[in-house]
Amino acid sequence: MGWSTILRGTKNGLAITWELARVIIPVFFCVTILKYSPALPWISEHLVPIMQLVGLPGEAALPLVLGYFLNIYAAIGAMLPLGMSIKEITIMSVMLLLAHSLPMEAAVAKQTGVPVFGLIMVRITLSFLSGMFFNLIL
Amino acid sequence: MLEILREAVFGSLINVIQIALIVIPLMVFIEIIKDLNWLRLLTAAMAPLTSWMKLKKEAGLPLVAGLVFGISYGAGIIIQAAREGTLDYRDIYMINLFLVICHSVFEDTILFAAIGAAWLPVLVFRLLLAVVVCLVVARFWPSYPEHLFREGQKAMKNVLE
Repeated sequence: MGWSTILRGTKNGLAITWELARVIIPVFFCVTILKYSPALPWISEHLVPIMQLVGLPGEAALPLVLGYFLNIYAAIGAMLPLGMSIKEITIMSVMLLLAHSLPMEAAVAKQTGVPVFGLIMVRITLSFLSGMFFNLIL
Repeated sequence: MLEILREAVFGSLINVIQIALIVIPLMVFIEIIKDLNWLRLLTAAMAPLTSWMKLKKEAGLPLVAGLVFGISYGAGIIIQAAREGTLDYRDIYMINLFLVICHSVFEDTILFAAIGAAWLPVLVFRLLLAVVVCLVVARFWPSYPEHLFREGQKAMKNVLE
């Protein structure tokens, strides 16, 4: 342990920041523009019945789907411009932490030799149930 | 239009900088954990959990590695253990089940804390959920008797040699 440890950590931290910036900035741009276009209100209006179950506004479906299919960074980039409340951010965080980067992480789990379809279903189910639970207790 | 662009530029930059200020020290901390070999200590602390789930004690290391460093790192250790024959299918499935529900607890928690989430209840909930789901599954999935597994492993070794 010493300077080399700190240097390695800083390097990894910068690498993650770069990965994160590369995703968050473009997604943030797109969602900010979408927010002022008629598209996002239209989409969110149609998703209200589902999102209501977990106490989130319709447009929160966008970061949720991005998180499920891409990764947490994309979800965060899309959440930020929506100006959500602490309660909504917390519900989103529990839902996203239980299910995110599903294609990528399923590929990793597959490498260890287990069937992954069941694991993905467990994650999505737990994600929604936990969202409902946090909506009730917060 | 200019107003929207300004909001996008400043909003995204400020948020990325905010996250960077938290992620970089965290990564230094994680490198320190690796250097001091705290992974062994944490693995020892996991012993009661692995025995509740009726897993072999060797399952502790990939569990801790996945919890601290993330699912890919945990998977690397699982693959290695599977090759050496120290874990059977049930162990490997249970580790996967635990880790898909709860992994990289430091990084993920801090990312959401940085954007204002109430991180502590989320973290506690995620850990508890992984433990409860795994205990329930473990209850209905009896483990392969340890002595039979060891014998099978020995027989396999004899064949290979």
